[in-house]
Amino acid sequence: MTTAGTAQLGLEVPIGSIEGELKKLWEADEASTNASMMNLAIYSEDPDSLERNSRAIRELTREHACRAILIGMDRQAPEIRIKSWITAHCHLAHGQKSVCCEQLSFLLEGKAIGRLRNTVFAHLASDLPLVFWWQGELSDLFEPALYGLIDCLVFDSTKWADPLPGFKLIEEAAGDSRNRTAVQDLAWTRSNHFRLAVAGLFDDLVAQRALPEVNEVRLVAHPGQRTTALLLIAWLATQAGWRPGLELGIAAERAAGCAECFRLESREGRSIAVKVEWKEDSAPLGHLEIRAPGCEVSVWRERGSGHLRQRLECPGHQLALSGPADAEDEVALIAEQLSRGGKDALFRKVWPAFLELLGLV
Amino acid sequence: MILGATGDLTHRKLVPALYNLAADGELPPGVKIVGLARKDWSDEYFRESLEKVNRAVSRNGHSEELWTEFREGVSYHRSEFQDPAGYQALAERLEAIDRERGGRGNRLYYLASAPEFFDDILERLGEAGLNEDREGCWSRVIVEKPFGTDLPTARHLNRIVNATFEERDTYRIDHYLGKETAQNLMVLRFANAIFEPIWNSRSIDSIQITCAEHFGMEGGRGGYYDQAGALRDMVQNHLLQLLSLVAMEPPTDLSANGVRDEKVKVLRSLRQWDTPELVAANVVRAQYGTGYVDGEAVVGYREEERVDPESMTEAYVALRVLVDTWRWSGVPFYVRMGKRLPKKATEISVHFKEAPGVLFGALPGRVPQGNVLVIRIQPDEGISLRIISKLPGASLRMEPVKMDFHYASSFGKSSPEAYERLLLDAMAGDATLFARRDEVEEAWRFIDHIEHGWHRSDSPPPMAEYASGSWGPQESDALLAGEGRTWRRL
Repeated sequence: MTTAGTAQLGLEVPIGSIEGELKKLWEADEASTNASMMNLAIYSEDPDSLERNSRAIRELTREHACRAILIGMDRQAPEIRIKSWITAHCHLAHGQKSVCCEQLSFLLEGKAIGRLRNTVFAHLASDLPLVFWWQGELSDLFEPALYGLIDCLVFDSTKWADPLPGFKLIEEAAGDSRNRTAVQDLAWTRSNHFRLAVAGLFDDLVAQRALPEVNEVRLVAHPGQRTTALLLIAWLATQAGWRPGLELGIAAERAAGCAECFRLESREGRSIAVKVEWKEDSAPLGHLEIRAPGCEVSVWRERGSGHLRQRLECPGHQLALSGPADAEDEVALIAEQLSRGGKDALFRKVWPAFLELLGLV
Repeated sequence: MILGATGDLTHRKLVPALYNLAADGELPPGVKIVGLARKDWSDEYFRESLEKVNRAVSRNGHSEELWTEFREGVSYHRSEFQDPAGYQALAERLEAIDRERGGRGNRLYYLASAPEFFDDILERLGEAGLNEDREGCWSRVIVEKPFGTDLPTARHLNRIVNATFEERDTYRIDHYLGKETAQNLMVLRFANAIFEPIWNSRSIDSIQITCAEHFGMEGGRGGYYDQAGALRDMVQNHLLQLLSLVAMEPPTDLSANGVRDEKVKVLRSLRQWDTPELVAANVVRAQYGTGYVDGEAVVGYREEERVDPESMTEAYVALRVLVDTWRWSGVPFYVRMGKRLPKKATEISVHFKEAPGVLFGALPGRVPQGNVLVIRIQPDEGISLRIISKLPGASLRMEPVKMDFHYASSFGKSSPEAYERLLLDAMAGDATLFARRDEVEEAWRFIDHIEHGWHRSDSPPPMAEYASGSWGPQESDALLAGEGRTWRRL
């Protein structure tokens, strides 16, 4: 990490003195208020992540007061060492009062099981929820003792080379921790407005009547957004009741010659052909078409656009709308996620269908 | 008089406490401090030794001007603890101090030596007549823990103490009771009308008392600790005292006996885990293994210096305690104490029952866990209350928020150290914050059953293990999980 990078992290302090140094920090500035609604831990096995994540925290704390705990891990370093820094991000609230949030940064070098867990546990603000943003692939440091104390686990499955083992690991951990932990995938958050737009079109009575007749679904998405796309399809299947009980493993069939095509079955036994196309020039979720005989529901977004387009075309009935698009950068997605609190009921509901699709595609 | 004056307690706690009382103008004028110990030290050497440590640890800093004045009142008396002649000489020395001062003074004896010398010291004090009240002046004794190692030894010590000093002149010190927040417990409970009506089994689901230490056996502490263990070292005294303050009924007045009468009733009401099966079902003992604390690799308990490699002494203990009173019927008190945990903290948390789910229980997703009132004993003394709040926005989403009160930042001056308050109380004759004989014995009665279940049973429960730097063994989590609860995350 560069000197300029560490300068962003604030004052370097011995790890055993952090609480005392924080106290001094606040005593030295009586004009500021220390605010915290949660513990937000960000973990990355990229040692250069601290600088980037410190910038992210600076943005996030404008709306989400927290104690931030940034952990960068360099497991390839030859020696086992730890460095720590403290700082505060301050923002003017209503143009007057300076509201500040603490940031604790740790660089953990070398391979040492148990050190990550201790670093997190030792520096939490008590009685506040722990939101833990795990960046990148899950590793062997993702262990039940760590997971069991997390209130909300955030990750981005689009960053995983092979998502299925990662989801299975989380599913196992969720079982161990008695479902206390909310699980949030940024790939899911990334489709929030898209899903709202699709659901909004089906508020229309004509579209509702056409839903049982749907026989084709086509989705164009960016190839880097495979899990985002499959979560959207899983959501659609779950909400539309395609195969009651969601026995997608039985109902879905990979169509011959198309690795990204499969079949679902509606409640009424109608076969639904689903095709996902990957395009480099697409927005994360580019274009969704849901077709029934004579009717088509579409939601699409041009790459780089901040808006979604919605269209419903049925005989004698047309509707065109537009609405906000989902954020693309991770910080904005996290901010949105934090605004929504720790709920994950719909995501959990969609999860079984999603895992089935993930295993098939 | 500090008996055992060359040790850590005198240097790090007692003399800095007296110095800070002087700095705050709280120390009565004319107080002289005489240290007695076996080492061949001079007055000057003793003063220099104290000064060195005071510079490092004094709460109010170290003022050269004040210390110069303070040190004049400090002297050293060399004697073996068993030597009658040494005490006779001490009596003469104290008489000389009285003569210099122009009259007889009150005398406060602090037993700061290793506990095996308590018998000798008390007997010798009695033989030298140093225990007697004369000419309207009092003689009192402060006894430092441990007050015995089990019920028989505690009874023996109490007999010896009370053979030399009246119970009213005996002050068994538990420094936890001198902490600001421990004292504030009574104010919180009985001076705020909102708490007492809900301080019972109708509103409270459970109570947790946690004493976490991130230290292991540094500084050669393993030798003592391996003989004592977490249960006897911390739970018998500090944590049961805190529990009794939380659970006691309102006293009839604030006199020492008024408060202690109520505390001892709580200790008498503890359900006894008096069979090995009950011990196994309600108590978890554990030792720490290797792990990481503050980024450093640390060894396991049995590899610590001066600890038996086959030790069966617990460095962690978690208990489910039931107080069989009308008020607390069915409310478990979970008490845990452990070494090599992630952070240093002693806290009491009162977990209130969940609100009926008729309104928000039907909402999708999770409803955050209920209200928790936290009383932080150390460090960062204070009180916080967790409440559930709606997140801003159009939809109904709830998250916990914390209302927090910190002593240090709220009152602009640091709280006095526990020893300052307790030394001053002993001088003033106020024993409210000291343990009475029957309290100590009742606490030992409860602890002894557990010790017997561990060490005298044919089928003792196993010793669990946890990684250093973690929050304890899985067995401890299971103790609560079996009742649908979890340890609070500090």
